[in-house]
Amino acid sequence: MINAAYISGVAMTRFGKQPERTIEELGREPLLKALKDAGIERRDVDEVFCGSLFGGTLIGQRILRDIGMTRIPITNVENACSSSSAALREACAAIAVGRAETVLVIGIDQLTRLGGGTIPLEKTDIEVNLGFAMPALYAMRARRYMHETGATSQHLAMVAAKAHEAGALNPYAQFQNRLTPEEVLASRMIADPLTLYMCCPTGDGAAAVVVTTQKRAAARGKPVRVAASTLQSGLYKTGFRDMATSELTVRTSKLAYEAAGIGPEDIDVAEIHDAFTSAEMMYYESLGFCGKGGALGMVERGDTKIDGAKPVNPSGGLLCRGHPVGATGVAQICEAVWQLRGEAGKHQVKGAKVALTHCTGGGISGLDHGACAVHILTT
Amino acid sequence: MTVAKAELKPDREYFPASKPWKEANGEVRLIGMRCPVCGTRAFPAKDICHECGNEKGLEPTLLSPTGTLYSFTEMHAVLKGFPSPYVVGYVDLEDGVRVFGQIEHSAAELKVDEPVRLVLGQVRTNPDGVPVISYKFRKR
Repeated sequence: MINAAYISGVAMTRFGKQPERTIEELGREPLLKALKDAGIERRDVDEVFCGSLFGGTLIGQRILRDIGMTRIPITNVENACSSSSAALREACAAIAVGRAETVLVIGIDQLTRLGGGTIPLEKTDIEVNLGFAMPALYAMRARRYMHETGATSQHLAMVAAKAHEAGALNPYAQFQNRLTPEEVLASRMIADPLTLYMCCPTGDGAAAVVVTTQKRAAARGKPVRVAASTLQSGLYKTGFRDMATSELTVRTSKLAYEAAGIGPEDIDVAEIHDAFTSAEMMYYESLGFCGKGGALGMVERGDTKIDGAKPVNPSGGLLCRGHPVGATGVAQICEAVWQLRGEAGKHQVKGAKVALTHCTGGGISGLDHGACAVHILTT
Repeated sequence: MTVAKAELKPDREYFPASKPWKEANGEVRLIGMRCPVCGTRAFPAKDICHECGNEKGLEPTLLSPTGTLYSFTEMHAVLKGFPSPYVVGYVDLEDGVRVFGQIEHSAAELKVDEPVRLVLGQVRTNPDGVPVISYKFRKR
């Protein structure tokens, strides 16, 4: 028997630098709030999945131990930036097979523990030993994308300005200030053509959601259904690979649209993996919101602003809300649920009924990315 | 003691330590693998073909010493042991294998699809400050 999974409770911490807190405290905050939001008690939780990249051994147990919530199945999931989206997929599967009725999913990371700079990658990787880093990967993709589509640094700066316009309205965002495209272009170079404000910041944060059955979600009110929960891994290539299109995102989103029985034109609001502004543009195309090169017009017209024709990242996205890697996938779900319930406050997209979240990443040689997760939620 | 240690310090090291390249007639060529069943080439060399699963007869093969620069970036973010800035890129060798490496030019001197050739040179230093030598690329 396949049971549909619903989201009945969501919560997140504000993202940003919080080195003074322990990572366990950071995780506890949204966990307790998500239970309250779902209207349930600690004892109602049957199972827990925790997604984190740098949280260390048994991060889920460490968070739950302090509030007496162990003795139930806890599974820790590491899948780079997609860690907690992959954890959510497992929670949906636990509901689907009828193994559990209420599952808690936590996403968490505290990047200030790492001491700053670009996120550390696998030390044995051949490319990492020769100077590969995440900003370098995205910058190379950006340059090829610009070469093929005619996109300019101005476009890349406009995406950052749009993110800040939205982030300024989101109380959970790491950055809540507006920036002009000129200020973005004038910030220091990180990996050309990407300047500092075209790159997501490092920070700390956690988010939690309660996944449950239709019956329990309906009892709470304003139920949100998980219409698709898809995960794919990158295709290994030792030769040519088109880096101006994300084959992995195309493949994953296609599966999600098929599972939900809808198309990209039906998405009212999307939270996508804008780790760098160039990626946001590329993903408009890879997710099917427009054709190849169509992202330029979307950016120029402001289509993806909160009040635009295709709102993308009304939370401010990774660029502004922040990107404590393992926390991002679940934070995107929190935002999507608030949007669908009409509870997003100042950054509410009017009348949103179908939301898409897209979380991808992980840098190892030979792959576009390690993993990609796409979820589609409906009212 | 300190002096003795310094005397033992090598003047350079190679990455990868197996030195998967061959120098001859002023050319540097990477040693990759070719699958005799499906023809797939790969670098670094492997003992199983990822395309067809073949495990037999995979032999080292010399890859083309030249190719074109698919894309590149000048990294200004500081990475321990690396110069700042440094340029990296993906090169499509003439036999179809894509190789990541450093490029011996500033970004201003390069363009997409630039013809390049393989050379050997320093890419970084190890934690003891010893130069690390590997393959990299230069404009043709």
